[in-house]
Amino acid sequence: MIIRSVARAGRRALVQTSSQPWRRFLATQTDTIETTAENSFKQFHSLEAQFNATAPPQEAVPSFDPAAASAPASAHVTDSVAEQYHRFKQSQALIGKLGSYITPHYQPHTLLSNPPSPADVTLELLLASEAHQGHATSLWNPANARYIHGIRQGVHIISLEATAAHLRRAAKVVQEVSRRGGLVLFVGTRDGQDRAVARASELAKGYHLFERWIPGSITNGQQILSKCRTKVVNGKDEEIPGFEEQLMERPVLRPDLVVCMNPLENYVLLHECALNNIPTIGVIDTNADPTWVTYPIPANDDSLRCIQVIAGVLGRAGEAGQKQRLELAETGRVTYRPADNLVLPEALQEKTVAAAEPGAEMDLDESLEDADELADKLDMANNREMSNHAARAIKKID
Amino acid sequence: MARGELSRTLWSAAEGLRSAPRSQCTRTMRLPYRSLQPAARFISTTPSRSAELTSETPEAQLEPFTAAPEIEFEADEGGDKDSGGGNNQKSNNQLLRTLRVVPASRSYFSAKPTFTDDYLHVSALLRSVATLPTILTTEAPRVAWKTIDQYRIMTNEPVKTQRFHRMMHIVKRLNLVHPSLMPEHIKTAMRRFMKDSQPGDLVPAPQLVDDWGRARGVGRRKTSSAVVWLVEGEGEALVNGKSLSQFFGRLHHRESAVWALKATHRLDKYNMFGLVQGGGSTGQAEALTLAVAKALLVHEPALKPALRRAGCVTRDPRKVERKKTGHVKARKMPTWVKR
Repeated sequence: MIIRSVARAGRRALVQTSSQPWRRFLATQTDTIETTAENSFKQFHSLEAQFNATAPPQEAVPSFDPAAASAPASAHVTDSVAEQYHRFKQSQALIGKLGSYITPHYQPHTLLSNPPSPADVTLELLLASEAHQGHATSLWNPANARYIHGIRQGVHIISLEATAAHLRRAAKVVQEVSRRGGLVLFVGTRDGQDRAVARASELAKGYHLFERWIPGSITNGQQILSKCRTKVVNGKDEEIPGFEEQLMERPVLRPDLVVCMNPLENYVLLHECALNNIPTIGVIDTNADPTWVTYPIPANDDSLRCIQVIAGVLGRAGEAGQKQRLELAETGRVTYRPADNLVLPEALQEKTVAAAEPGAEMDLDESLEDADELADKLDMANNREMSNHAARAIKKID
Repeated sequence: MARGELSRTLWSAAEGLRSAPRSQCTRTMRLPYRSLQPAARFISTTPSRSAELTSETPEAQLEPFTAAPEIEFEADEGGDKDSGGGNNQKSNNQLLRTLRVVPASRSYFSAKPTFTDDYLHVSALLRSVATLPTILTTEAPRVAWKTIDQYRIMTNEPVKTQRFHRMMHIVKRLNLVHPSLMPEHIKTAMRRFMKDSQPGDLVPAPQLVDDWGRARGVGRRKTSSAVVWLVEGEGEALVNGKSLSQFFGRLHHRESAVWALKATHRLDKYNMFGLVQGGGSTGQAEALTLAVAKALLVHEPALKPALRRAGCVTRDPRKVERKKTGHVKARKMPTWVKR
């Protein structure tokens, strides 16, 4: 039998099989061929086991979507697409990081996903984001002369030192306003600025506008914004229900600080802010008028990257301010002036009045006096003449 | 007088430029002077027209508006400390002192907060699934999207058509994500932009053979409508209580009334009882065709392809077109006469 099989296999079998078993066969008994076969069979099994152990666990992959798997029609095709995708993701996770070392480089999404904070503002960052590029010299507004470093190839170059200083000052303003619970409105109505603006407002818990400013939203707000819902929140920013009827009768809200990324297109907005004494922060390119805004930031407003940096920095500043405010709220301190003329709804009042104690009146009077005093003080602070404020404010902030 | 004013203002401007802190800037120093020179020459040479100049100069100097002054942050805040829970009136008051009114949405100042929030939401969703494999537009699940009017009614906001379509473009792109990889939260998010009733939603209830072995079918053609009950039997047919030959004078109408049975060789296997009303005899006969076919499908659903080939399944939607004013008939115009 053995001979027959060897003969059938021919010369190839003789060449391919290793000499070891043959030598043994010739030397000893005839039954050893069976044991060698068994051995090789065992070897094959162990190899298979080894292969199974090293190979990626394929069984774990496919059961991703039982519904699709059970679907009779075209289930085969869909399964394969999903499987392919999962296998791709798996291999990407396994070998995606392999290969050459890539030096740190500009990744556009990081400015949105992880924007720089005011402490990260460096001249390198501003230069890299092209904050220094102004407009052609013929287009300049001479009021910007103090922010201009020089001329290169007929284009004004903005001084990045001025940019950084003004950006830090604006960041402080945003931080302080949001620490005091002010409504900060981020405006960027040019194409592509929407994400930067939305991200900044999300960070600073402010408000955003990336479409057209509807003229009159401040001066004629009752007509334009009266349908938009407002809410009453406590110091920890938790909504307090039950004020809906009172909110219907209240005047609409207006921002306490406006951050404008493109002042040139938002003349109406800035005009309205000026009429209503709302301070503004604006990115002033060399062709813009810096007197339109309260706090100019001389920078290139045509570069989306620069806008993302500026919006990110201001958003981070607002985030820091909100954090400070919430920390103070945890300890029971309010950093803002509470809303006037709010009356606690019955539902909220009954809970507390039910267990009223004697001697409440005295304390009530006292607290009312306190409140009046407080309100007067705040009014005075708000309505004080602004003549000598400007100089002092710069000193204080810088 | 006017000349003196102008030059004074120019000089003060130049002074302001010079005093501005510019340490490293040497080149721009030349610029203001250069721009100054022609202005000075202009003043010296042109004959002055005082009225014009006096009216013009202050206008040029005045800004269109003056921005709000800088904020002076007070050292002490308007905050008060929480003295712990004393009595209830006090705690009531203290709650009131912590309350402030804020917008419910971050998009408050866009005057379309719901729409703007929707737009931001769907664009964030698209960013999260942008790398998933997609299918062709032709293979995408068929969805009836809300129209702009329906969306406006839902949100009660004056949404611009272009903005709405920009948002719907994103939503339709979400719909192209491969169905086997579509995350559940995206399906729920898309539901907001779908109409309440979708194309596949209205499935007619399946007809059944009743306890007496009857299957009912309804058919219409032109202005006639017919109801037919079909029972297994020997091939008898009654229409409005008469036999086919009594009811229909024309042979063609008799044949077309039972055409569904004839085309499938079921003429001797079913008894038919029909009620038909309205229209003329052609309409009634062909309304019966459709009714018989539908009733037959209840007995034997597998016959549908055969019946479709025989032309018994589709309702013929043609009707008499109405006559219009100024026309002789539906479309015929009166003869045109020159003057």
